[in-house]
Amino acid sequence: MKFGRRSAANRIALWGWLAFAAATLLLGMAVYFATHVAFSRQIDARIEQATTALMIEYRDDGVRGVQSALDQQGRTRPIGLGTALFDARGTRIAGNLAIPLAQPGWRNIVFTDPGEGREKARAQVTALPGNYRLVVAADLESLEAIDHTILAMFGSTVLALLLLGLAGALLLARYLSRRLEGIETTASAIIGGDLKQRAIVGTAGDEFDRVAHSLNAMLDRIAGLIANLRQVTADLAHDLRTPLSHLRNHLERMRGGQAQPAASGSIDEAVEQADNVLALFNAILRIAEVEEGNLRRAFTAVDLSELVSELGETLVLLAEDEQRTLHVAVGSGITVHGDRELIAQALTNLVENALRHTPPGSVIALQARYDDGGALVTVDDNGPGIPEADRERVQQRFVRLETSRSAAGHGLGLSLVRAIAQAHGATFSLSDARPGLRAEIRFPKRISA
Amino acid sequence: MRVLLAEDDLDTIEFIETYLADLDHVVSSVGTGEQALQLACSSPWDVIILDRMLPELDGLTLLKTLRGRGVTTPVLMLTALGRIEDRVDGLDAGADDYLVKPFAPAELVSRVQALGRRYVQGGIATRLHAGPLEIDLITRTVHRDARIILLQPREFRLLEVLMRQAGEYVTRTMLLEQVWDFHFDPQTKIIETHMSRLRAKLNEGGLPDLIETTRGAGYRIRAA
Repeated sequence: MKFGRRSAANRIALWGWLAFAAATLLLGMAVYFATHVAFSRQIDARIEQATTALMIEYRDDGVRGVQSALDQQGRTRPIGLGTALFDARGTRIAGNLAIPLAQPGWRNIVFTDPGEGREKARAQVTALPGNYRLVVAADLESLEAIDHTILAMFGSTVLALLLLGLAGALLLARYLSRRLEGIETTASAIIGGDLKQRAIVGTAGDEFDRVAHSLNAMLDRIAGLIANLRQVTADLAHDLRTPLSHLRNHLERMRGGQAQPAASGSIDEAVEQADNVLALFNAILRIAEVEEGNLRRAFTAVDLSELVSELGETLVLLAEDEQRTLHVAVGSGITVHGDRELIAQALTNLVENALRHTPPGSVIALQARYDDGGALVTVDDNGPGIPEADRERVQQRFVRLETSRSAAGHGLGLSLVRAIAQAHGATFSLSDARPGLRAEIRFPKRISA
Repeated sequence: MRVLLAEDDLDTIEFIETYLADLDHVVSSVGTGEQALQLACSSPWDVIILDRMLPELDGLTLLKTLRGRGVTTPVLMLTALGRIEDRVDGLDAGADDYLVKPFAPAELVSRVQALGRRYVQGGIATRLHAGPLEIDLITRTVHRDARIILLQPREFRLLEVLMRQAGEYVTRTMLLEQVWDFHFDPQTKIIETHMSRLRAKLNEGGLPDLIETTRGAGYRIRAA
């Protein structure tokens, strides 16, 4: 699995995880604050209730009433509540709360607990006539304990959820990648020229299966169109061969007759042209046959070393007559599984191509050897080469580069080479020989020695 | 030569009869496989031209039956199927040569004559003669009159094929098949290249050329 920034699956999973984490965090904060506020209010209410009760005492009996109530409370005061009454000079005259004097209103104060030291508290300070001040305070220890509990609970929950979320995100990313990988593999194979590859459609019937299914349907359609195109081309070539050869034979009969010398040259020319078209048709049919891929059953072990040497002997002379030099270098004992004649045709085409597209005096090298466990045949020249952008295109049918339009040939040579390579499970590629062109046929690795 | 033609396409029959009759061969035509089988077994022929797709009995089965009955007459199989495996099937069934339709007349004529000659020659010749040329197939030596000529193996093979057919044309396709074992047209001048070297060696010292080239027909070495 590729785990990089370029993976949409990873991105989706990561964003999903982040959103999930943010939501969890938000929820935790909301619960925390809501609880905190609710408890705070409850505490305030208790303080207010106590203050009100003391104010009733005050209304009934004045400061003395409050004092006695506080003294009573000193013995039976409710847990968590503390009180204090200060006189005008700021001296605590009643109550158990050890705090300094504070201004009236709601205050957050710090008091000294005889048992536990200084602690935070919430206090309501009420001013009484005569500059007396009544303080009712609640210990915030319980609130802090609740806050702490909530924080601890949420902290651990959030951590656990984040870890789970991360694991989920990773699994999701992996799952997405894996499902997409199947489709990607198929697409790559198709791009590589294997039109028979199809994506695996699972049984779940989910989006991926539907995409794979659509992809396969599309590929079937494309394959159908291509097959149709090939069939039409082949049929056309096949059906036109007969009338064309009749035409040719009639012309030839005219040549044998008492044609005038002037006409005889034209007839020769016409016969030659007809032969060229017939050769073109045969080439189309040959490619169609090779591409169909039904040849494999006739494949045998081919001694590539012997074939290339033998072919080399013939082609060296051909190159010599065309004012080019052909060097042949063959490793010994190279064998491939295939059709001897087709391989011979492919190699002849490649050398012929090199002869045709290089200037006189060029050097061409035909080599065969084992490379990385498989047989490799290369034809290099030091001619002008083919620009990288055109290298794929020239392997298609009838494609000839503008610059070589005027040259002979019907633009099928490399298509046939490619078809032959594919029929052998080999790859055909063109590259830069620096300078010049390198054509190579790389046969599959031998499974057993 | 007496030629039996088993073919159901009238155009093809007329075409073949015309060209072979021009060369004084006698052609008998039959339109079905059954008739062809009967005739092939009942009288002697120099060559049988057999279409692969015949009504009643197809060419392949007919040929296997013939060979099964010990009939060794050379057979040239005609077919509209030009596929590699079709050719292999035809040769496996016992055909001596194979020609894909449509074909040029020169191709048919040369092949029929080559087959007829092979049959007539019978046994295995170890020496071939043509005019001043003599080649020994065992020692692989070539003489023009008394002078020995040294040839490369491929040139020797080329000369051998021409001399086996001395006096008659051998087409480019036949040369590609018999000298190079190519059953495809390499679209190159490999024949010309080798032929010019062979000629240069045979005619060294300004001797007259023994090999004729005729457009559309092929190459021929003079028999005498």
